Amino acid sequence: MSQIVRVLAKRLATSLLVLIGVSMLIFAIARVIPGDPARIALGPNATVEQVQQLRTELHLDEPIWVQYGIFISDLSRGDLGTSLYTNRPIILDIAQFLPATLELVFIAGIMMVGFGLPLGRISARYRGSAIDNGIRVIALLGVSAPSFVWAVILMLLFAFYLPIFPIAGRISDIYSIAPVTGFLLIDTLIAGEPRAFANAAWHIILPAFALALSGIGQAARLTRANMIETYDKPYVEMAQSYGFPERRIARKYAFKPSLIPSLTIIGLDFAAMLGNAFLVEAIFAWPGLSRYGVAVILRKDLNAIVGTVLIISATFLIANIIVDLLIALINPRIRYSQRPQ
Amino acid sequence: MRPIVKTFAAAMLATSMLAAMPTAANAGGTLRLDEVAVGELDPAKASDYADSILMFNVYDTLVLPRQGGPGHVPHLAESWEGSGQTYTFKLRDDVKFQSGNPLTAEDVVFSVDRMQALGKGLSYLMSDVESVEAIDSHTVRFNLSQPYSPFVASLVRLPIVDKATVMANLGDGDGEMKDWGEAYLSANGAGTGAYVVTSHNPQEETVMEKNPNYFLGIADAAPDTVRLRYGLEAATVRTLIARGEHDIASQWLPPEVIKALVDDGAQLLTESGTGAFYFKFNTTKPPLDDANCRLGLSKAFDYASSIKMIAVTDEVSQGSPSTGAIPVGMFGANPADQTLSRDVDAAKQHLADCAHDIADHEIEISWIAEVPLEERFALLMQANYAELGIKSKITKLPWASFTERVSKPENTPHVSQLFVNAVTGDPDTLLYGMYHSSVPGTWQSPEYLSDAQVDAALEAGRTGADDAAREAAYSQLNARLMEIAPTIYGYDRQSVFVASNRVSAPALSDPAHAFGLDGMGFSFRLMEVAE
Repeated sequence: MSQIVRVLAKRLATSLLVLIGVSMLIFAIARVIPGDPARIALGPNATVEQVQQLRTELHLDEPIWVQYGIFISDLSRGDLGTSLYTNRPIILDIAQFLPATLELVFIAGIMMVGFGLPLGRISARYRGSAIDNGIRVIALLGVSAPSFVWAVILMLLFAFYLPIFPIAGRISDIYSIAPVTGFLLIDTLIAGEPRAFANAAWHIILPAFALALSGIGQAARLTRANMIETYDKPYVEMAQSYGFPERRIARKYAFKPSLIPSLTIIGLDFAAMLGNAFLVEAIFAWPGLSRYGVAVILRKDLNAIVGTVLIISATFLIANIIVDLLIALINPRIRYSQRPQ
Repeated sequence: MRPIVKTFAAAMLATSMLAAMPTAANAGGTLRLDEVAVGELDPAKASDYADSILMFNVYDTLVLPRQGGPGHVPHLAESWEGSGQTYTFKLRDDVKFQSGNPLTAEDVVFSVDRMQALGKGLSYLMSDVESVEAIDSHTVRFNLSQPYSPFVASLVRLPIVDKATVMANLGDGDGEMKDWGEAYLSANGAGTGAYVVTSHNPQEETVMEKNPNYFLGIADAAPDTVRLRYGLEAATVRTLIARGEHDIASQWLPPEVIKALVDDGAQLLTESGTGAFYFKFNTTKPPLDDANCRLGLSKAFDYASSIKMIAVTDEVSQGSPSTGAIPVGMFGANPADQTLSRDVDAAKQHLADCAHDIADHEIEISWIAEVPLEERFALLMQANYAELGIKSKITKLPWASFTERVSKPENTPHVSQLFVNAVTGDPDTLLYGMYHSSVPGTWQSPEYLSDAQVDAALEAGRTGADDAAREAAYSQLNARLMEIAPTIYGYDRQSVFVASNRVSAPALSDPAHAFGLDGMGFSFRLMEVAE
């Protein structure tokens, strides 16, 4: 496993550099967005004096490199500052909103793997058949419509016309679950409340599915294409000529090698969903970090923008590292290529 | 795969069975409403609509606007006397904070000091207060630096906080008062109000419960619990109300959604009398630096069509026809039947009298990106002006860009569209900030107006000895503003809220009970919720 550790160390080091770069970039970009953050924070009725006082408190009159130095100095103490939008420490906001988004994205990720890969596999195995055509149409629909469209359609179908699923929030008002991890599906179990767990699970299905549909389509299409390509490889033809069962050929010889590109895409999709979940979160009133991120951008809440982007970037990098490790585990050629010469 | 499919199906079935139980949709005595995020709980920083709702329910003020009429009535104060620069208030002796501490004059002094020290929200309303003294435990005197007639009106924005609770919860900060309890009051209530905050997340939801020890008592039919949610999407609210899981929607729902909900049987609640919708001319930019050009554009605007655009039903609209610079119901307003209307001939005449040839200019009509309705008005205006051969372009400006652009007259668009409210219900807080020459360059004064007669009338309205004097001053102001047309006075604004039929809110449905102050109609203690 030493080469895996070496890969991990290398990726962590480069990730740190990426994070520093991202922090500088977003720090500069946030200040280019039009509008005076102090004026926006204090509202339209604030006097010029009040606005100037807040500008001074925020060091907005200092050169940008001085502001960045102050930010890094505070960050080294674990202080991201106070949000001008919620008037609370940004760390507290992120701690509150991040688990909601992570939970949503995680369940969406499971749906992508759970539905996308099997659909792709079935489609490839029965290529050219009605099943294949049906799955391809579904996959195309999933890819072609953005997640917020699916969110509205799913809400209309399964919450309005057929009121099966709840519409808004993470759990019904009748439950009061003390936050431990922030992940309601875990906290309800810790609290020993199976009904609350089921209620939370019922709440997450529609938003997670809306978010996952595009990824499901993508994974299905990619898996199908790769499997079909693999089916033409000589070793698969050899297995077929030996009379191996079709199911075994599909699973062992065609599906497994086709997983690598699909996993890479799913990993990227998983991380991208952190940022893209905004509209789905808004439609289902999901109190997550994406919604918070967009709100702070619109309010030009400088520190909160940088804090949110850094957290999303860090999660993106971690997801990529995990995908790389998984691929290295699946594909020995990649694993061994990391060995020192 | 088969075992996996079976396990998945079993898990789904179990989850659906466990989840298939009554939700909070029909929880007895719970009122559910939504507003635009965020909800600022600290009363010294409250300025938006959601903040006002929180403030009026968690805190109380010395006076309240009189329901259904002009003037103010005592609330935490038992009585008051004074005028000009000194006002003395006698406090009720039966009021307790939610903490159980009794209300004293020291709490009033502390509340003013805190508001002035933080300098946020609507604290500028207290900028003329030179000092506040506690004469005895239940008497407090305000000394103003200059005569300010609307002072009593401005007290509806002075929520009284529990000094002892705040002092026991000071956060980090410099000096004796550290953070003035800012961190604590952003997350907790410390008032005498009818509702106690039980949980608060400024982006998600505030939950409040009835205060059993409220000094005025609360009717049993008033909601026991209030859940104020923030930032719900129109589609979500539409579905929630249709399913009976939401009670009152924010005023920002698109008219189409309101109409659809009304068609489904929902009721409409309204709040009016505190503001208007304006098209503001940049009076420093040619050709609008000439009053005749401005008058020409004002007369060319189709007021009747704009009113049709904001109609929700045949009976209810998001505004009523404007009669002039001052909304109907305020000092100096023109009679309600003298509504403004389009007059193309008069427009042509004014444009002919203008020192500039307006055909040589392209008029920039801006609209605020966050308010899609304004785009429709911009298109209407463009069509109206095109009929007279006037070239124009439409610019979409996010609020942040707009506030930046209007900080300099040369960057300010020819036409800016704005909703402006009187934050205390008094015309001074509506008009002074818009038209006095000492305050140009803010979001509400993109006119950059500098007119001696307007300044004099505004000063007279601010210092008038009695209501008659103030009425005369504002009438004069109205006439002058109509004469020089720095603004097109679009319509008098009315907030429309769609609500389920289990809610009864007299302050939002019966003019005889209306407060005439934004947000105060949402005093939950005056509402009733059916089980």
